[in-house]
Amino acid sequence: MSAPSSKLLNDTLTVKREAPKPRSFSKPYWDATREKKLLIQYCRKTGQYQFFPRATSLFTGRPSDLEWREVSGNGKIFTYTIARRARDPFQGHEPFFIATVTLDVGVNVLGNVVNCATDEMRVGLKVKPFWAPLPNGTHLLMFEPDRGAAKS
Amino acid sequence: MALRDAAVVGYAETKIVEKSDRDVWEIGAEILATLLDKTGFEKGEIDGLILSSSMTGASNAFWSQTTADQLGLELDFCQTVDVGGSSPTGALARAAAALDAGLATTVFCLYADTQVAENNSRQRSFHGEWAAPLGYLGPPAAFGLLSKRYEHQYGLDYRALGKLAVAQRNHALLNDNACEKLRKPITVDDYINSRMIADPIRLLDSVMVCDGGSGLLVTTRKRAKQKGLSKFVVPIGFGERTNFRAAENIVDVTESGHSVAGKRAFAMAGIGPHDVASFHPYDDFIIAIMLQLEMLGFCKHGQGCDFIKETDFAHTGNLPLNTGGGQISAGQAGLAGGGTNLIEAVRQLFGEGGKRQVSNTKNAVVTGIGGIPYGRNWATSVVMILSPDA
Repeated sequence: MSAPSSKLLNDTLTVKREAPKPRSFSKPYWDATREKKLLIQYCRKTGQYQFFPRATSLFTGRPSDLEWREVSGNGKIFTYTIARRARDPFQGHEPFFIATVTLDVGVNVLGNVVNCATDEMRVGLKVKPFWAPLPNGTHLLMFEPDRGAAKS
Repeated sequence: MALRDAAVVGYAETKIVEKSDRDVWEIGAEILATLLDKTGFEKGEIDGLILSSSMTGASNAFWSQTTADQLGLELDFCQTVDVGGSSPTGALARAAAALDAGLATTVFCLYADTQVAENNSRQRSFHGEWAAPLGYLGPPAAFGLLSKRYEHQYGLDYRALGKLAVAQRNHALLNDNACEKLRKPITVDDYINSRMIADPIRLLDSVMVCDGGSGLLVTTRKRAKQKGLSKFVVPIGFGERTNFRAAENIVDVTESGHSVAGKRAFAMAGIGPHDVASFHPYDDFIIAIMLQLEMLGFCKHGQGCDFIKETDFAHTGNLPLNTGGGQISAGQAGLAGGGTNLIEAVRQLFGEGGKRQVSNTKNAVVTGIGGIPYGRNWATSVVMILSPDA
């Protein structure tokens, strides 16, 4: 386990975020985050996961093909950017990471990356979930470097 | 072919301004009056109205009706096209479809938005739940993510991208309708040294949201000839794709629906990328121009930077690019901004480009980009090929 050599980028953990208002079909996702569990929609018919939660299967167009499955949230950085300008309530917290993460189960998820330095960040970096508390008891899925994972 | 039976008989455009002190309907009224003056059509002859998306109109579920009422238009065909930045060019395709189906005989396509002065949009999308909590600033973040991925897969030569920025800026210097704030020369070094917004997206990669309007008057070729109009422009190819690879979970953000839309448009027009006389791609970020060069087949995917280095994009060059400055150097008139690329293509084919007139007016290719989806590049891609009356 090696610590990053340069300063960590801002983590936005002190940003006063409001909890998002779930839709009828995304409520199971947000409910599960109360226990820091990551539930993702899975299409039984095609054997594929999908993210973000939709009202129907992206693959068959049938809601009845979907079920929720708990996944680890481990993955790799697909791409990233450093936000240097932001609107309220993020203003003053720049710069911070926004990344697309390919989860091990084969879906791309957007998230902030925390506990990470600029010179450590790269496409392909292994990451694991980091749950940031939201005011209503749910959590926001973020990611942090998985320094214990085998090098990719 | 049906698309070719439509004729663009006139175009109009206001100056693009940082913030409009005129109401969006006053802009619409000016566009309408200019089109009537230029074409000799009477207002009563207009029986179709197609509006582009508009942030100012976004709170009104009756936008096209309300606008028609404001302008005193009695219509047989009335609609708003809501595919974001693709909607001005998409509107022209829909006008051609309405004419072909006999639903209208003369269609006014109006693209007006005063997003800076009056933004009424409250968008219901994935954003509130899945992007806003990340401090995701919409387009700049999306294009930052896209650029980093492109760089990882193919490498990125930022000086090549800078060359595109400079070529467009030089054209804005020749365009009196371009936003004054942007009519200052820039160099490749200015581009490289401009401040980072969302790495590696720089200030000079990015469009500046402005206010303004434009429009077209479209009728059938038959009617244009009956009217004795000697000069008009005909759409000869069109392709549109929304939600490219919608049912894929991990989408290569360096590819876009323009690959599909472009093939279709070129096949319809019976020409290929090497026949393109001038190119007017939708430009919200500089890298979008390069991606579209690749997707339309001007060069192979991943070789955009090399193609840029060996191509002259000036209005006098071998591939004139956004000869009015594009949106990045003329200003983005909100969701009507795609009209800037489209109107310039039409203007060039009318031979009214003035100081920036291109010599080859056999055709012009216009594109659109609309909507920023989750973890992808953009939602709608359109490609239209225009030709002077053949």
